[in-house]
Amino acid sequence: MAFPDTTGLRADPGSFRDPGNRVFHRAGEVLRGLDERSARDWRALAASDFFRDLLATRQVCGTEELFPTPVDVPWAAVLRHERIPFVSHPYEWSYGMLRDAALLHLEVLRAALAAGFTTKDGSAYNVQWRGARPVFIDVGSFEAARDGEPWAGYRQFCQTLLYPLLVQAHLGLDFQPFLRARVDGIEPDQMRRLFGGARRWRAGVLTHVHLHGAMQDRNAGDSTSTVRAQLRAAGYSRELALAAVRGLTKLVRRLHHRPGDSHWSDYQRTCAYSVPDRQAKEHFVDRAMAATGPGRALDLGANDGRYARIAARHADHVVAVEQDPAVVDALYRALRDEGEERILPLVMDLADPSPGGGWRGVERAAFADRARADAVLALAVVHHLAIGRNVPLPEVLDQLVTLTVAGGSLVVEFVHPEDPMARRLLANKPDGLFPDYRREVFESLLAARGRVVGRTDLPSGTRTLYQVVVGG
Amino acid sequence: MTGEGKEAAVTHLAYLDAGSGSLIVQAVVGGVAGVAVAAKLYWRRLVARFRRQPTDQG
Repeated sequence: MAFPDTTGLRADPGSFRDPGNRVFHRAGEVLRGLDERSARDWRALAASDFFRDLLATRQVCGTEELFPTPVDVPWAAVLRHERIPFVSHPYEWSYGMLRDAALLHLEVLRAALAAGFTTKDGSAYNVQWRGARPVFIDVGSFEAARDGEPWAGYRQFCQTLLYPLLVQAHLGLDFQPFLRARVDGIEPDQMRRLFGGARRWRAGVLTHVHLHGAMQDRNAGDSTSTVRAQLRAAGYSRELALAAVRGLTKLVRRLHHRPGDSHWSDYQRTCAYSVPDRQAKEHFVDRAMAATGPGRALDLGANDGRYARIAARHADHVVAVEQDPAVVDALYRALRDEGEERILPLVMDLADPSPGGGWRGVERAAFADRARADAVLALAVVHHLAIGRNVPLPEVLDQLVTLTVAGGSLVVEFVHPEDPMARRLLANKPDGLFPDYRREVFESLLAARGRVVGRTDLPSGTRTLYQVVVGG
Repeated sequence: MTGEGKEAAVTHLAYLDAGSGSLIVQAVVGGVAGVAVAAKLYWRRLVARFRRQPTDQG
């Protein structure tokens, strides 16, 4: 890194692709350093009405320039950004989240184009979340639009936003594995193979997939600067750029995905909880969260978000992780419609959490490196990991404890082997495979990892809740 | 294309490779007027090729 250690600056490993500006962290602040040209772009942007409107409607993350410019950094200007409570990646979003992120990106671009600006790129990673509300974070992406030039970010928009939406809406395939596997998204050539035959007639496919792929092949030998000049000479105008954005917006709005019934989407209704059990559980979680008063709470196996909502009464923000994309999507839509800005729902399998990705595996941070929380809820998940996925019980607890900051609370539910749900899971495994899956073993493992400050047996008698202060 | 235009295009190169084909296809998704622009672009390329040919051979 180019900075002496005394500056206390830490470069964000996910921000290096645009050499003109880069995000840094210092003393809990999120800063963005700008070179001369980016500083000029920023000052023009800061003086514009459209940007002021986007800030006022909170569609773009809060940003201000530091005056005077700090002298200990090699930048022409330094911006300070509002902190986003939890950085998530597009492959952790549900369909509705990716769709709303795409619509926000297009709306920001439309407003920019109308005011003579544009965005340099079109990545899904330009969007983050305040709870269930998307926010455009890449303020360094704005620059003055040049007459007669199409949007430079269109290809990236297709690869990281539009194509994943098409894959899910038209083919019914979950898009998350595609984005998780490739940091730059799905290439047009791969999409053409997925959308052969009659599928080419589905909305948006012929132009944005097939024509796009064919044009790429045919123009591979021409540089983008040559093509820009040719388009300008042929009369490409800002009105056409706006028309393209309108067309894309209309297409994204038309794309709908109706998931079939999944196992989990009915879980709250069909699961073994009696009303007294549920009430006792809610009461326990509420009391534990009130006693902890967490900054961040993490709800693992959040399902319909019942306990994430209880945590949100006492936490600054809650990250609600659930494995089933359809369940997360239903939760997201409910939270969005309520205008909830403190609960972020995410799609992730706890037995296969997001790894580090991109350059050196740190450009997109692994879940374990982002998710440490003051309070962790692990309700009705331990048996799924220990029995359903064969993860050794001590390792399940190690992972839960690792996610909890020292002095924080872990609220964990142990489902006894006699419980109907546990029996169902055990019935699919050979007899005697889990001799250690017992309450006494679980309790001694807990005691070795923290101080058990609360415990309650649910009225049904086959489930026990614990509150553990980790490292305390 | 003028020499001046060429220079401006070079100094304004974005950090992102927008993709040549991705730029042209955007004209087409912009509706009828956009298709006309794309057609004009291809027409000019065609004409330019025929005009260039005698020089290339000579």
